[in-house]
Amino acid sequence: MTPNGAALFVIVMLIGALAASGPLGFSLLYAVLVAFALVEVRAGTTTALTRSAVIVLPLAAFMAAVWIGFVGRSPAEIAAGASGTRAAAAAYVLTVCLRLFLIVAAIQLVLLRFVHLTPLQFICALRLPVTAKRLLALTLSLTETLRQAVDRARTALIAAGVITRRMSLRNLVHGWVLVQTVWLSAITIAVGRMRDKWPIEGTLGRLDDLFQRARTPSLAPGDAVWLSLGVGAALFGLGIG
Amino acid sequence: MFTTPRLVLIALCAALNVAVGSIVYLLKLPIYLDSVGIILCALLLASDRWAGFACASVAGTISCVIIFLLVNPFFIWFELTVIAIALVSVLLTARFADTLRARPLPNAKFAAIVLICGIVTGVVSAIVSAPVVAYLFGGVTGSGSAFVVAFFLKTGQQLLNATLLSGLTADPIDKVLQVLFAALLYRATPGDFIAMLAAREATSATSAAR
Repeated sequence: MTPNGAALFVIVMLIGALAASGPLGFSLLYAVLVAFALVEVRAGTTTALTRSAVIVLPLAAFMAAVWIGFVGRSPAEIAAGASGTRAAAAAYVLTVCLRLFLIVAAIQLVLLRFVHLTPLQFICALRLPVTAKRLLALTLSLTETLRQAVDRARTALIAAGVITRRMSLRNLVHGWVLVQTVWLSAITIAVGRMRDKWPIEGTLGRLDDLFQRARTPSLAPGDAVWLSLGVGAALFGLGIG
Repeated sequence: MFTTPRLVLIALCAALNVAVGSIVYLLKLPIYLDSVGIILCALLLASDRWAGFACASVAGTISCVIIFLLVNPFFIWFELTVIAIALVSVLLTARFADTLRARPLPNAKFAAIVLICGIVTGVVSAIVSAPVVAYLFGGVTGSGSAFVVAFFLKTGQQLLNATLLSGLTADPIDKVLQVLFAALLYRATPGDFIAMLAAREATSATSAAR
């Protein structure tokens, strides 16, 4: 499977998850996802499912509290002006959670399928304009920069006695100072890189050269299989199949 | 249009949106604070309105995708809201860029601009988001504003009305805060960085090579 095929597979699963309404549609989409996990991801499947559960379960609890606990009716019943039941609200929450879990699990499985590639290798393999690839690479690089900026700003403000190491009221009051300091640190680091580091090392030229030289296939035969299965399941979900 | 300093700005603004937006989402507050980077991007590129719109939209889209991938599976459906916020920020908030950066700070004028721009951005955002929240998710997404929707549903409102009323209640307050934070960060940003953003590719390349 290629990164382009993987990206398209996620989009197909996303549309399929949104289109599916009945048990058959969901069953088919989940069957395709399970097959994808077993064939393409294998050992990483447990990790992908655990990560998906960590994202979706709090959301499910929150939605259950709001819909079943507080509102006590499903959206369809509200639209029809019916008094409604908590069981219908629970069924609605379950449908939304099945959708969300399908989307999140598809993303996590695809991420783990390409865990052996560095982010730069993954970006190189995507069929995107060079500017878009450059932007993605810079975003990833600057995310790390921001992490460093957060560490530096936090350490400096703790040393200056403006904030504390542990949770405190002072942190709440001076939280904004930390945000401003992080922003200024990040800008200073970025300006330094643009003026000195990148021109000396020829970073951007090398990056563009790398993106232009990358010769990767748009799609592999394996991609076509997964995309066909995904589209088929999504069409059944829509009620076309 | 997408010079190196502007690409850097897009990345920084996207990271800002992700960092603040994710924390607020996880705390389930009835506000979002996930568009500060979009408004800030529009302010920093106030000298070139269309570049400002393009960069703010791209920054918003990147943060939208990252939050969707890592934290909130609902988020990707609000892409149209992201574009709407970028448009309002460029057409309205960025017009007052000079006043927002004036020294000494004109307190009353600053407060009035923040309030007006925040309320307008909030109303536009609420109107664009309401159909997505109502028809795609039945009114409840994972954010804290779901409590407000639930409250209006409990008072007997129909779904679209409840989401719209919830948006019109929470969004103006949220966007006033976001415009305020963006304006304060804009005031704190060094002038030479803003000059690098305003320069065209040849100029910025020369200054980068120096």
